[in-house]
Amino acid sequence: MNIQTRRYDLHAASGVLGFVKDLWAGLAMVELWRTFAWDEIQQRYRRSMLGVSWIILSFLMFVGGVSFFFSALSGRELESFIVYVALGYAAFIFISGNFIDGCQVFTSSHVWIKALSLPYSVHVYRSLFRSLLIFALQMVVVIPLMIWSGWVPGLLTLLVVPTLVLYVVNAVAVQYLLGLISARYEDVGHLVTSITRLLIFVTPILWVREGLDGARAFAADLNPLTHYVEIFRAPLLGEMPRMTSWAVVIGVTFAIWLAAALCAAVFRRRLPYWL
Amino acid sequence: MSHILVQDLAVTYPLFNRARSSLDTQTAPLDAGEDFGGTQRLVRDKRGYIKGVRALDGVSFEVEQGERIGLVGANGSGKTTLLQVLAGIYPPEEGFVTVEGRTTSLVNINLGMRSEATGNQNITLRGLASGRKRSEVEARRAEIAAFAGLGEFIDLPVDTYSAGMRMRLNFAIATAFEPDVLILDEWLSAGDAKFRKAASERMSTFVGRAGILVLASHSASLLQANCTRGLWLHDGRVRMDAPIDDVLAAYEASGKSQTAAQE
Repeated sequence: MNIQTRRYDLHAASGVLGFVKDLWAGLAMVELWRTFAWDEIQQRYRRSMLGVSWIILSFLMFVGGVSFFFSALSGRELESFIVYVALGYAAFIFISGNFIDGCQVFTSSHVWIKALSLPYSVHVYRSLFRSLLIFALQMVVVIPLMIWSGWVPGLLTLLVVPTLVLYVVNAVAVQYLLGLISARYEDVGHLVTSITRLLIFVTPILWVREGLDGARAFAADLNPLTHYVEIFRAPLLGEMPRMTSWAVVIGVTFAIWLAAALCAAVFRRRLPYWL
Repeated sequence: MSHILVQDLAVTYPLFNRARSSLDTQTAPLDAGEDFGGTQRLVRDKRGYIKGVRALDGVSFEVEQGERIGLVGANGSGKTTLLQVLAGIYPPEEGFVTVEGRTTSLVNINLGMRSEATGNQNITLRGLASGRKRSEVEARRAEIAAFAGLGEFIDLPVDTYSAGMRMRLNFAIATAFEPDVLILDEWLSAGDAKFRKAASERMSTFVGRAGILVLASHSASLLQANCTRGLWLHDGRVRMDAPIDDVLAAYEASGKSQTAAQE
């Protein structure tokens, strides 16, 4: 940042271009949101003895417990079912975490938004980076589990790369959009939290979609999260995700970005007044 | 190089829970005292519901480099809002503002700090947030800690600080990175005599480098010591724009006549 002239008026930094500039300027402040996210994670566990290990521990407890009780219902062997649950649950936590974090991404940062004129996207990246760190910590557990169950990396494994790119791209738009809406309409935050709680049961994480009959399998396919989880889990289980899943995920991604861009273009600069 | 231009600025805070005034909307403005502008500044819709509060209205002024502006005005006259608009936090509703130069603002002592984080962590965050590199922050860290005078408290969470300590840290961080435009709200007067002296010295060296200072305060002595020009805000409008001593004299005189009128 060199010496610069900034102009503030009703139209400055609004519109889609303003949104894009905001996303870009925020991205450039990588050191800031990285430090922020890391601080926040440490802070959350500061007074516990096990600290950040709780992220891994609580993940293991869930996966272990669920696998023990549900493996009989799934028709899969315990070893492969544990990996199935672990992968699905890690993906699910990341995705649903974006909904819940997204609703608070701006309201919880009001202390900064009202104090400094930072790009609003900084708060989105900070929140997203925090989720990614948690996701990475969970993978520390999942990868040994996979090796234990006899997993061998193959060409299909590489499909995880586009999947993770899609996850991140989606997360930015989802959080920005939900953050703006729930800053204006607080009820949206409560609604999203309630729905997210339900999602774990209607998404094939604890159960296997392939085991269902036609109508139920179709119902599971109506849930976009089924496809989001599938494109991550299937390649790591050595299966090719269905083309339907790729198509749904890419389609939904476009729709979310469109909604986020429109919403941000019109309402972005109202944000400080809403907090 | 630093410069500020404000032209026909207006700002309205929206009110979402649609308050219905308990006073009769037709007669209330007439009932209210002439100097209490609160009622006239409420923006109403056709049915008399209060939609928002007009915080600033038709504000225009220009600040050249090296000028030190003192903002005076009663509570609720729009001082803090004006500072926040200059800092780029609230976008104007009407008119425009241009600000040339790197700007640092300290508008609210409780904002812009992570209270669970330590003083040192906050130095890092605020340094990075004002667009500095990590290495630049590290180079200034010792100097900031020394100016804030917090001793070992710098490694404790900001939660544990007193208001004065928070303010010292905030001020030390904000001025360490040599902004061209420094925007300060009234809480600077929360410091003790020793700190106010150190702060005044720092502000004068800063303005010596042709920066701009905009300082809002209720303390006449603080304004006289640090400002050259005064801007008196009344009900969201500029009532007077003149050398600081003249503005303070007029402001105080109006305060006295008001008190006298009430008695």
